[in-house]
Amino acid sequence: MRGNDVKRYGLLALALLFVGIYLFPLYWMYVTALKSNSEIFAIPPTFWPRDPQWIVMDVWQRMKMDVYLRNSLIIAFGVTVIVTMTGTGCAYVLARIRNRWMDAVLFTVLMMQVLPSSLMITPIFVVFNQVGLSEYPRLSVILAQAAKVLPLYIVLCRATFLQVPKELEEAARVDGNSRVGAFLTIIVPLARNGILVTSVLIFLQSFGEYVYSRSLITQRALQPATVGLQSFMGPNSSDWAGVMTYSAIYVTPILIVFVLLQRQIVSGLTSGALK
Amino acid sequence: MSRFKNTFSDGVGFDTILVMIALGYLVLFSAFPLVYNIVMSMQEVDLFSLASFDRPFVGLDNYRDVLGRPETMQIFFNTVKFVGFSVAAQLAIGFGLAMFFQLDFPGNTWLRGLFLAGWIMPAIVVGGVWSWILAGDFGVLNHILLATGLGDEKIFWLSDPEFALYSVILANIWLGVPFNMILLSVGLSGISEDVYEAAQMDGATRIQRFFTITLPLMRAQLGAVISLGVIFTLQQFDLFASLTQGGPSNASNVFQYWSWQLSFQNYEIGVGSVISVLMILFVVLVAAVYVRSTRHEHVA
Repeated sequence: MRGNDVKRYGLLALALLFVGIYLFPLYWMYVTALKSNSEIFAIPPTFWPRDPQWIVMDVWQRMKMDVYLRNSLIIAFGVTVIVTMTGTGCAYVLARIRNRWMDAVLFTVLMMQVLPSSLMITPIFVVFNQVGLSEYPRLSVILAQAAKVLPLYIVLCRATFLQVPKELEEAARVDGNSRVGAFLTIIVPLARNGILVTSVLIFLQSFGEYVYSRSLITQRALQPATVGLQSFMGPNSSDWAGVMTYSAIYVTPILIVFVLLQRQIVSGLTSGALK
Repeated sequence: MSRFKNTFSDGVGFDTILVMIALGYLVLFSAFPLVYNIVMSMQEVDLFSLASFDRPFVGLDNYRDVLGRPETMQIFFNTVKFVGFSVAAQLAIGFGLAMFFQLDFPGNTWLRGLFLAGWIMPAIVVGGVWSWILAGDFGVLNHILLATGLGDEKIFWLSDPEFALYSVILANIWLGVPFNMILLSVGLSGISEDVYEAAQMDGATRIQRFFTITLPLMRAQLGAVISLGVIFTLQQFDLFASLTQGGPSNASNVFQYWSWQLSFQNYEIGVGSVISVLMILFVVLVAAVYVRSTRHEHVA
């Protein structure tokens, strides 16, 4: 019994070591954000800030993070709304009906899921220019990014709908509900959690979108936080304290959401990718 | 009239509409650009003819142009290396970690979940953090290598043509490990404990058990994870933008980044779409193989 305990805690120590090594870049980002400019370039580097600086407010104002983050939020929010509105019903039908047509639709959706943004942006840029969408750069990004993540949303939501028993819907129909009614009052509420977690995933992915924003938005005041961060990281930049503080401000909310929803995200992700 | 209405609230029409909304959106914003891309790859497209619908048709000239450029071969091999090394390392590390966290110790699933923190971060931020870690003079990686005696001089990871591509690969492995690990963990937990116990009674060693039980039973999962790894690696753009911009002089350039550079920095949009067409064709091929293989598993 004793020997077994020793082994289990030995493994725990090893696991902590692995997690520590893996998450070191995150740690290094936060530590650098807290260092003074002279300490950042100290040789040898310090692994714990000697004299922690709190430059969050300064960076927030100097790098205009309020503008960038607002644009990121607008884009992420717009994408999530479009995707949930157009994708939920499709995911439900794909989960309920299995025939040759639906197989073809599912296959198409899966193929659309793998198209790389950096390769799709060339035609999207030209088409959007021709139809005049380039007048509304943020809307352009929202439309393009929604098409990019819609397939993922459908695949993950479909996995959720598969778990809702068909009998519940049939019971509702016997009670006189129409299909629309049964879908909105029975099925969607039952699949609520899965839909919510998937939407959060889509939101987070779009919150960190880069390729489309970089290529479609030229005005600084409309660019999201990813493009903003990139513009502060020129080849000769040495403002690492600023860049790391910016990064920390940007990703901390993402990491908090992740820690809160860790379990659901993991199970949603695995059920969608392997089924 | 009421029968017409009934199909939509009650019958096949309801399903059709729901599917058509999503499919319509995808056709408009994914399939149509895809086709348009093929058309553009056979036209001369630059900043001036961008907005016009009547662009000169050049046949396969753009394709010949791309194949004839001196940097094409280099970038091709870079892409192969980038995908090959990234996927192999992600798989090896991910599989190792998945098996480790399968062992019984307190907090194993929770600690395993922490790895996904790397996956959820915007890749542009990951690139930013890595470019600071890999910095030549003040980067912490060089310091650790020198201090532990693993290296004997500073490596300029991002500006040395020998190392630039491997720097991006390193960051990409970091991004991909969590996803590999989580998917493989699902497969591993599906293998019944009894099989291992039976093998152990028969005197199979740990290594024998791995090769005769784990590996064969994980074949489907491994296939899925490798295909997804190839697909995700070919989608990687942000790390190139934030780490090396494909440089120095294309030493770390890959097709998906080059295509963007041609279209958006050189404004040779026709040529950019040639690479885009060819790469998309390849990605879709890999994806089709993946989808077919998972389908087979279901039938079996």
